[in-house]
Amino acid sequence: MDERDVSVVARARDGDRDAFHALVEKHSRYIYSLAHRMTGNAQDAEDVVQEAWLKAHKQLSRFEARADFRTWLHRITVNCSIDLIRSRRHREDAHDPADLEQGPLSERGAEAQPTPERVAASAQISDRVNDALGLLTALERAAFTLRHVEGMSIEEVGEKLGLKTSATKHSIFRAVKKMRHALEPFVQS
Amino acid sequence: MTNHLSEDEFILHYYGEIDRADKARIDAHLASCDDCRLAGEKLERVMRMVDSASPVEAPDGFERIAWARLEPHLDANPARGWRVLWFPQWALAGGVAALLVAAFWAGRMTGGEQAPAPLQASAAAVADVEPGSVLRPDVGAHLDRTQMMLVELANDSGDKPAAFAGEQRRAADLVAVNRIIRQSAQQAGDGQIVDILEDLERVLLEIANAPANASSNELTDLQSRITQEDLLFRLRVIASEMRQRNQSDRTTGGPSPRKMPTS
Repeated sequence: MDERDVSVVARARDGDRDAFHALVEKHSRYIYSLAHRMTGNAQDAEDVVQEAWLKAHKQLSRFEARADFRTWLHRITVNCSIDLIRSRRHREDAHDPADLEQGPLSERGAEAQPTPERVAASAQISDRVNDALGLLTALERAAFTLRHVEGMSIEEVGEKLGLKTSATKHSIFRAVKKMRHALEPFVQS
Repeated sequence: MTNHLSEDEFILHYYGEIDRADKARIDAHLASCDDCRLAGEKLERVMRMVDSASPVEAPDGFERIAWARLEPHLDANPARGWRVLWFPQWALAGGVAALLVAAFWAGRMTGGEQAPAPLQASAAAVADVEPGSVLRPDVGAHLDRTQMMLVELANDSGDKPAAFAGEQRRAADLVAVNRIIRQSAQQAGDGQIVDILEDLERVLLEIANAPANASSNELTDLQSRITQEDLLFRLRVIASEMRQRNQSDRTTGGPSPRKMPTS
């Protein structure tokens, strides 16, 4: 954290409203992307951002001045995303948006079959990956993101999501298999 | 080469989470089986593709939207000299409604299992209550109770009709208290609280009035309403703020009336 950040966070801790506003301005886009990656849709991401800032605001007095503010905020955002996903788990279990049998994106019409040149473009890759992530249920997406992106162990992912280790593995396996089925046609052998 | 690795083993191997007991066998197999080594490399390429994707960007101007949504909810913090004074006045005043709510719940504890009675009793009570006179702790307790009931319903597998009947009785009770609080909030012009209480009331009424032998589809519909409207999420935010206020007031010597901004 650079000196300016340290000073803004310190002022926000002391109750400076403008300083807190500055933090919101600076970090909201970052935590939106994180929340979107966890939840998979814009509305939920916006709600998570708001909840994360409310929590950050309440807990600011407990923030260690030497710590990195963004890392701290990142953790809060992940936890808020998990809270939201856990509250929706029952519904998710009843409505899996895509079964493994559904097949990869590359088999869904001409629109989904770009040339290798197009796939090579990073924007196209991002679109492909985000489309593939869209095939995952919220639980699979959360488990996959926590394991693959956040680097948590399967055991830690299970603790976060309130799942047994076997169920956590199952969610991650299903997620990776869906990602592989969807993306394998686009990776060069 | 037989006994190829399973897909699950490839994934565990990729993440370095193969059990110690299996590690030597899997490493040996990968060293000697071209098919499996190639399959493992393919999985790695897919994962690299995932890693190389850019995250979804927030829409333009999102920072301003985020602040506009957030600002009205920020805590009043008189000790530090900032924040809008936002706690709803209607949630702080008089004792009549608090006594009524307490008596109502006490009645529920001792009043047996009939569902309709409390609903009727409370309807009469609502008419007698002067708006703007509910104590804050009762509001917080009501939100907590509602939250608990909704969580239980959202997780109801539908295979225990008796459990659903119990949730219906609780919903009927909660509707009554909800109305008292909503009317007070309405009187005070607290649009934000009124909004969520109205949403809550609609769902609570649907639960209370659902047939006792609700089909699994009907139950799923109710559960969808709870999740689609983000009721639990919104409830948690408000209930948590209420608790925060109560704690803050206890440490600063008791509640003082504050006005929630109407944003």
